Amino acid sequence: MESIAPVAIPRPRAESATMPWYLVTMLLGSTGIAVGILWDLSWHLSIGRDTFWSPPHVAVYFGGVLAGLSCGALALRTTFAGSEAERAVAVRFWGFRAPLGAWVAIWGALAMLVSAPFDNWWHNAYGLDIDKFTPPHALLTLGMVVIQLGALLLALSAQNRAGTASLRSLSLAHLYGAGLLIVMFIPVHVIEPNGRHTNSFYALMAAYLPFMIVAVARSSRARWAATTATAFYMLIVALTVWIFPLFPARPRLGPILNPMGHMAAPEFPLLLVVPALAVDFFLQRRKEKQAGWLDAVWIGAGFLLLFFLVHWYTAGFLLSPAARNWFFGAHRYASYSVPPPSALSYQLYGLDPVTPASFLMCALWAIASTRAGLWFGQWMAGVRR
Amino acid sequence: MRRAVPALLLALALAAAPASAHVGSPNVFFDGQAGPYPLRVIVRPPVVIPGTAEVTVRLEDRRRIDRVTVQPVLFQAGFEAAPDPDEARPVPGAPGLWSSQLLVMKEGSWNIQVAVEGPEGKGTVQVPMPAVRTRLLGMGRGLGGLLLALGAFLFVGAVSVVGAAVREASLPPGTAVDRRRVVRARVAAGLSAALFALAVWGGKVWWDSAESQMRTGLFQPFTVRSSVEAGAGRPRLSLAVVSESGLRDWLPLIPDHGKLMHMFLLREPGLDAFAHLHPVAQDKQQKSFLSALPPLPAGTYRLYADVVDEDGFAQTLVDRVEIPAIPAGGDVAGAVPPPDPDDSWWVSEPLGASPDTGGPQVSRLAQGGTMLWRQEPLAANQETTLRFEVRGADGQPAPLEPYMGMLAHAAINRDDGAVFVHLHPMGTLNMAAQQVFANLATDHSAHASMAGMAGMDHSAHAAGSVVSFPYEFPQPGRYRIWVQVKSAGQVLTGVFAASVAPRPAS
Repeated sequence: MESIAPVAIPRPRAESATMPWYLVTMLLGSTGIAVGILWDLSWHLSIGRDTFWSPPHVAVYFGGVLAGLSCGALALRTTFAGSEAERAVAVRFWGFRAPLGAWVAIWGALAMLVSAPFDNWWHNAYGLDIDKFTPPHALLTLGMVVIQLGALLLALSAQNRAGTASLRSLSLAHLYGAGLLIVMFIPVHVIEPNGRHTNSFYALMAAYLPFMIVAVARSSRARWAATTATAFYMLIVALTVWIFPLFPARPRLGPILNPMGHMAAPEFPLLLVVPALAVDFFLQRRKEKQAGWLDAVWIGAGFLLLFFLVHWYTAGFLLSPAARNWFFGAHRYASYSVPPPSALSYQLYGLDPVTPASFLMCALWAIASTRAGLWFGQWMAGVRR
Repeated sequence: MRRAVPALLLALALAAAPASAHVGSPNVFFDGQAGPYPLRVIVRPPVVIPGTAEVTVRLEDRRRIDRVTVQPVLFQAGFEAAPDPDEARPVPGAPGLWSSQLLVMKEGSWNIQVAVEGPEGKGTVQVPMPAVRTRLLGMGRGLGGLLLALGAFLFVGAVSVVGAAVREASLPPGTAVDRRRVVRARVAAGLSAALFALAVWGGKVWWDSAESQMRTGLFQPFTVRSSVEAGAGRPRLSLAVVSESGLRDWLPLIPDHGKLMHMFLLREPGLDAFAHLHPVAQDKQQKSFLSALPPLPAGTYRLYADVVDEDGFAQTLVDRVEIPAIPAGGDVAGAVPPPDPDDSWWVSEPLGASPDTGGPQVSRLAQGGTMLWRQEPLAANQETTLRFEVRGADGQPAPLEPYMGMLAHAAINRDDGAVFVHLHPMGTLNMAAQQVFANLATDHSAHASMAGMAGMDHSAHAAGSVVSFPYEFPQPGRYRIWVQVKSAGQVLTGVFAASVAPRPAS
């Protein structure tokens, strides 16, 4: 599905066709963070008890440390030993030089680091907030997401400077980084199928998914950028749905109300490729993907309509016995602390109904979100450093 | 009828670090047998929930043990829902000492099942532990300063990154920054600073709400109101539960040593008059109690009443009560319950009347006997064994009999009332609660043998005339200790003073 739009972007003189080393480490680190978060979720659903050094935590720290160290090294190298060409694509920051994405990622790594003593104090003061979102956890998550944004910006600037030789691989790197970021922004408990007949689900998704997906599509030089990035998201989550339950696990925290024998699976991913098709379809029809307010209306409304149709009509299926198999893993998204059959897994909530008026409101959200995504995507399309 | 002064009550409540069972002394001590193995188990419950309970198991003789496991069990969930037992680890350099940490996820009545295995077989013991939030932690200046500095660094860093992004990120490679971009970068940095400040403010609101949630989630003991109706002649003491704790329901109570309530009256300020009474419930909800009042000297008394909920949650109700001078003759209107045969009281000299030399203390008992305490140096948060020797009027070791099923009872109170504990030779653990969990364990496993349960033979904790209590003073300060035994059919109360030093820096 990947093909490159014939977009003319001025490019500097001869550049190597290979992927920069720091982009490889950053995407690896970003993967560690995204997969580590899903793994940690599965760990807390099935085993419950962890330590600072639990394997999912190690995956996340690995991602943070790899990102922090590689960007730190990149900054030092560019500042003190960088070639003319390297310094030419750097941004100045407090006297040092490095690409913008490196500074963003370094900030993210520091935020993760700062959250540690804060989190430790928080645990002592208010309890081990194992399943609660708290200010120190928010800082930690912000750090992780910012690292992933850094990876995305590094890929973007490389893509935006690239010649045809390396454009394809750099563009894919950008979309893969975007897929990882989407993974982080779709918390599993928010997308439980039984909530997919509620207005709040569509309102929330309409508020930020178009922004993210449109920004990625607008800034990418690939024709099917939104579709590819969301396909990466779906593939990453689906792989964890298929792989995690293969590992045996026993709950280690009481009370155990559901004795699980294996790792839990995250919720099956949202079918984002479908509304993403609408985004790509519209943007391909604009020269250099230049889109305005009217386009935002079409894209936002189209996105929401497709998103709504595909999730409204598949929710019942995901709650049915037909989805309780290895592929959809509906029965494997379970927790040791919720007695089976979990009401969550077998019924659709309808307390917060979707009405024509509320759907119109969602559409306005989606359009505004799309417009913001177009604006930010346009800025990102210009990032060259 | 005179009532306790509310201000004094408040002072008492503030001084007393709330703990569910006992006051200001949450750690659970157990001395007893697990199968063939004599053990001491110390459970330090978490002060925040979810939190970590520290469990220490020490073999009290030179027998070999190969494995110690600990398993947390929540009453409501039962043994079926308990996680697999955790392996305790031997403490290096301390033979026979094992330790483990357990996560306690919910508030409520918990139990730690300790299982010991060795060449002589397996032994199991239940150690109940009420788990409640008891503490608010402030942030120290050092950590606060560090976090503030790091936070400021992140803030300035974030604003600078935004500035750098707008200034140079979209600049074609090798191009110099022009004036226009510098201005735009400054505007963007200013706007982002405002935005980030808003986010930080949002974080503060969030933090404040967590703090206030925590504050309201702290365990509050039930408020009780007690009063003495003297009239003339046989006075009575009544106690009523007047407020909910807000976090727990007032559940039906279960008897501990055959009594629903063990009430201690300690006269202020010298802690010289002492009574151990057993009020009787007057209503179906067991919220109102009545007891005959023994002839105590008039004054203000601290009142501590131990009760155990049916789920094994032990708690101490706290109040202050005025006892007026009781004139002789006449009778009070209304029913006065007959005195409980196990009620006991004793008046001694005030705390501090004799200089505390730190050496052995001898307390004169009724009928001319003595109780001897060879005091060891005491420090806060250091485990110790309080050992007392009882002699008759003839100077010979006095043979002891069980008093309410136990070889001895002790009450410990800090001079300011901040600590109160009622303990036995088997420790501070609550026996009724232990029985609740022993029953639960038996129900769970038809194979579980009660013979394996420790704590059923309560006379095993002393030989002849010596009684000992495992304990750890939670705070430094001056304490009074009352030790009660029974000999020749009479309850004898020994009274001692203890000075507890701050914990030495390790």
